[in-house]
Amino acid sequence: MKQKKTYLLALIPFLVLCVLFELIPIIYTIIRSFVPEGEDFGFTLANYINIFTKPLYQKAIVNSLIISILSSIIGLIVAFIGAKAVHESKGKLNNIFMSILNMVSNFSGVPLAFAYIIMFGNVGVMTMIGSNYGIEFLANFPLYSIFGLLLIYVYFQIPLSTLLLIPAFDAIRKEWKESNALLGGTNFTFWTKIGVPILMPSILSTFSVLFANALAAYASAYALLMNNVSLLPIRLSEQFVGDLVQRPEFGSAIAVVLMVFMIAAIMIQNKLTVKKGI
Amino acid sequence: METNKKGAKLAIVVIIAYLLIPLAMTLIYSLFEEWIDVLPKRFTLTAYMEIFSDPVFWLSVGRTVLISIVPILLCTIIVLLAMYVTYIYKPEWDKYVQILCTIPYAVQGVILPICVLSLYTSVPKPFNNRIFLLISTYMIVILPYIYQGIRNNLHGIGANKLIEAAQMLGASKFYAFFHVVVPNIMNGVTVSIMLAMAIVFGDFVIVNTLAGGHFQTAQMYLYDVMKKSGQRTCAVIVVLFVVTLLISACAFFIQRKKERGTENGVH
Repeated sequence: MKQKKTYLLALIPFLVLCVLFELIPIIYTIIRSFVPEGEDFGFTLANYINIFTKPLYQKAIVNSLIISILSSIIGLIVAFIGAKAVHESKGKLNNIFMSILNMVSNFSGVPLAFAYIIMFGNVGVMTMIGSNYGIEFLANFPLYSIFGLLLIYVYFQIPLSTLLLIPAFDAIRKEWKESNALLGGTNFTFWTKIGVPILMPSILSTFSVLFANALAAYASAYALLMNNVSLLPIRLSEQFVGDLVQRPEFGSAIAVVLMVFMIAAIMIQNKLTVKKGI
Repeated sequence: METNKKGAKLAIVVIIAYLLIPLAMTLIYSLFEEWIDVLPKRFTLTAYMEIFSDPVFWLSVGRTVLISIVPILLCTIIVLLAMYVTYIYKPEWDKYVQILCTIPYAVQGVILPICVLSLYTSVPKPFNNRIFLLISTYMIVILPYIYQGIRNNLHGIGANKLIEAAQMLGASKFYAFFHVVVPNIMNGVTVSIMLAMAIVFGDFVIVNTLAGGHFQTAQMYLYDVMKKSGQRTCAVIVVLFVVTLLISACAFFIQRKKERGTENGVH
C-alpha cells in the first residue's frame, strides 16, 4: 500500500505562515531577551534583572497586574449579576440585553477612550457640569490616571465577561433550587454553597480570558495617556517604536515577561479546574 | 420570587444604561456645536459633512477594507487546505494544528506585532515590506477564530459521511472536500469570517506598531482627528461603529439563516 503523499503539499502554506509569523518571531524574541544590550551574541540575565529592579519597570509590572486583576474582578462581579439576572428572568428584555452586549463588545480601544475623554476629560461634559454646579468629584475627575484607565478597562470587560458567563448559568437546575429550599436553605445559601461552586470552572476560565485581555490591551491606554503611563504594553512598545532610544533586547525581555503572565493565567486556571475534578 | 424577578430586571436595566451612556454621549456630542452645560446646544450635521467630503477619510476607509479582506481570505484558504490534510489523511496531526492556532491567544494585543517588528525590520526585501508584515500578522491574529469556525462546522455537518458518499459516486478526495464539503460549511464559516473582520476593522495597535504613519487606516485617521476636533472625532467614531455593527449584523443573520436551514433539514 504505497500512497502518493502529494496531499501533504496542502499543509505547506499553513506551516509557512505559522513558522514565519508565529514561531520564529516568538522564539527570536525569547532568545534576544537573553542577549546583552547592543550586542549581537552572548548571554545575560541583565535585561530581566533590570525589569524587576528598576523602579520605572517595577511600577509598570505592578500597575499592569493591578489594573488587569481589578478590572477582571469588577467585570466578573457585574457579569455574575447580569448573567444571574438573565437566568432568572425570561423574555424580551433578555434579548435586548444580549444584543446590547454584543454591540458594545465592539466599542473598545481608541473610540472608547475618546468617549471617556468627552465625558470626564479636561473639558468633558461631566467635568463642565461639575464645575458649573460645584460638584467637586466631577469637576476634578481623575480620568488621566490609573483610576481613569481602570474605569475604561472595566467598561470593555463587562460585555465580554457577561457574554462568556451567560451560557454557564444553563448548568444551574431548577430542582437544585427547590431541594435547597426544601432543606431550609435561603437564596443566599443556594448561591454560596451550590451555585457559585458549580459555576467555578466557568468563572475561572472567564477570569483568565479577561485577565489576558486587559494585560495586553494597548489602544485605550495609548489614546488616553500616550506614553505617560507606566503599563507593560506601553513600556514594551516604546522600546521598539517612537522617539525614545530603541532597546530591542531589553524590550524583548518585557515581551517575554508579558507572555509568561499570559501563559501563567491560562495554566493556573487549567490546574485549578482539573484539581477539582470538574 | 416576584421581587427576585423585579430585581433581575432592574439589574439588567442598570447594566444596559451603564454600557449605553458612553455611546450615547459620543453620538450626541457629534451632533451639537456646543455641550458645556446639562443640555447640548445648536444641532448640526457639519461634522458628518466634513468627514464625508474628506477624501483622506474615504481613502483610509478603503485601506481598512482592503487590509481586512485580504488577510481573512488568505487565512481561510490556508486553514481550509491544512484541514483538508488533517481531516481526511492525518487526523492525529490535528492536535498540532490546534496548538499552532491557539498560540495567538498568548501573544495578544501588542506582543505579536512587536515580535514580528523586532524580527523583520532588519531583513532584506520583500520581507520587511510593512504591508506584507501587516497582512501576515493579521492572518495570525485571526487564525484561532477561522480555525475554530472551520473545525466546528466540519464536525457539525458530518463531513466524513459526505466525503464517503462523494467518493462512492466516483469523486476524488480533493474534489469531495473542496466541491462538496467546503460549499456546505461556508455559511457557518462566514460567521467566523465576520467576527475576524470586526477584529481587524477595529484594530489600532497592530497597524500603529507595524505600519506607523505609512499606511493610514480608518483607526489611524481617527487617532489623527482626535488631536484636532472633538466633534469630528465623535462623528468618525459613530460612522466606524455603525460599519462594525453592520458587519456583526451580517454574521448574525447568516447564523440565523443557517439555524433555520438546519431545522428544516436543508444544509
